[in-house]
Amino acid sequence: MIELFHVTKEYPGDGPALQDVSLEIEKGEFVFLTGASGAGKSTLLKLIFCEEAATSGQLLIFGKNVAKIRPSAIPFVRRNIGVVFQDFKLLSQRTVAENVALPLEVRGLADKEIRRKVKGLLRSVGLEHRGDKFPPSLSGGEQQRVAVARALVAEPALLLADEPTGNLDPDRTLEVMDLLYGANARGTTVVVATHDRTLLERYKKRVVVLERGRLLSDGDSIRRVASP
Amino acid sequence: MSFRPIHSIRRALHAMTRGPYVAVVGMATIFVAVFATGLFAAVLGGAERLLQAWAGEVQLSVYLAPGADLEAAARAARAIAPGKGVEAVPAATALRRLAEALGDEARVLEGVGPGALPDAVEVRAPGISLAGARDLAARLRHGVPGAADVDYGNAWLETLERLVRRSKLAALVLFSALAVATAVLVSNTLRLAVFARRDEIEIMKLVGATDAFVSGPFLIEGLLQGLIGAAVAVGALLVAHAAVVPRLRAAIALADGLRLADTLPPPLLLGLVLGGGAVGLLGSALSVARTLRRVQE
Repeated sequence: MIELFHVTKEYPGDGPALQDVSLEIEKGEFVFLTGASGAGKSTLLKLIFCEEAATSGQLLIFGKNVAKIRPSAIPFVRRNIGVVFQDFKLLSQRTVAENVALPLEVRGLADKEIRRKVKGLLRSVGLEHRGDKFPPSLSGGEQQRVAVARALVAEPALLLADEPTGNLDPDRTLEVMDLLYGANARGTTVVVATHDRTLLERYKKRVVVLERGRLLSDGDSIRRVASP
Repeated sequence: MSFRPIHSIRRALHAMTRGPYVAVVGMATIFVAVFATGLFAAVLGGAERLLQAWAGEVQLSVYLAPGADLEAAARAARAIAPGKGVEAVPAATALRRLAEALGDEARVLEGVGPGALPDAVEVRAPGISLAGARDLAARLRHGVPGAADVDYGNAWLETLERLVRRSKLAALVLFSALAVATAVLVSNTLRLAVFARRDEIEIMKLVGATDAFVSGPFLIEGLLQGLIGAAVAVGALLVAHAAVVPRLRAAIALADGLRLADTLPPPLLLGLVLGGGAVGLLGSALSVARTLRRVQE
């Protein structure tokens, strides 16, 4: 589903954010992407999401070379990808329900269908009573759950989550992780960028470790992180 | 899914009701531009109508050389200007009319004999244009036997015509300057409106919206702001017409014939409303395109 061949990403004036990274993620996998701040986790997600272009190397998503995708076709690639952004990226002028509905609106679903799906998702993230509120009136944790709901509502083939539990208490963290697990169980490929070691220890899943833009290790569990 | 009209209209109305301040500023800008444009057009239309009314009173006088045959001259004038009121005016009649016109001052004519004024043929040409009067005068001068001179009040009519022609030129220059200023002003106002919602554009792009889907509500919003601002401006022009024209009629007798269709004809009003809509749409399209380019960079 995702293939990276010697991918490097450099920003003008900075050192490389990613350097010679090669990686393959199969359909239906659940992968943790970890590393210290500045390791390149978010950059890697941005490349996969076509928000940034690689400086060199080759990146294939859904079997397509990202460098060869026409700009006008990028929205259609993104419709197969749900993203939980680290800064949530919620629209403050729209209600919680309208924010969650956004990916469905973009896909042109009927209003009735949108309302049904949004209601279901809000219930599953415990925010069914907050649908008509505006994001600024919500706590950080609630906003994060709205962001998760928006990423999941269109049942994407690939889900990218950048620190999806960063602002949550342990109970809510488990709830969000359950949502991501549930999506994975329904066939969605999930890539979670996190520096929360407890998550890696709790969930025995594939862990990809980045350090200063380089791939440090790629293994089946946290043990590989501890002893690369 | 690309552009969806119903969705775009709904989102545009939503945005305008949630952020009315920005919408009002956009509408006010277009209101000012359309009102100023309409006012210029109305003043020019009124001036042209008044000029036509003046010209409509034109009477051409063909003065004959001494010894010319007055009846033959009148016949020739009737042949040249069929359907027009042609009258042979002997010198004595002309002198009597002059005395009547002078009233109490007629004393100045004491001692003036009938030979002091020439025989003349008068041709009434109501509703004739200036160009028509000029052409008729030339034909009378050449076609009427014994014609020495033709007068149609050309001095002041020519001056008036020149004045209107220069006003039109000045209005054209003003229109051009106003159009450029309006385009810049409207574009900047709408750019602010679009910029205020830059995050929305960015996030919509991130969840897979096409450019057409993102642009739709902004274009509809620009169009609605343009149409509403222009419609209010047209309403204000109609109110101004209703307030000014009666005063003008009281001041100038010729303004009696001034009608709404002369100053603010329906095609002009329709053009102003549609023009306002087009300016709003264009300004919005430019601003969204610029913002989309920046988001993608």
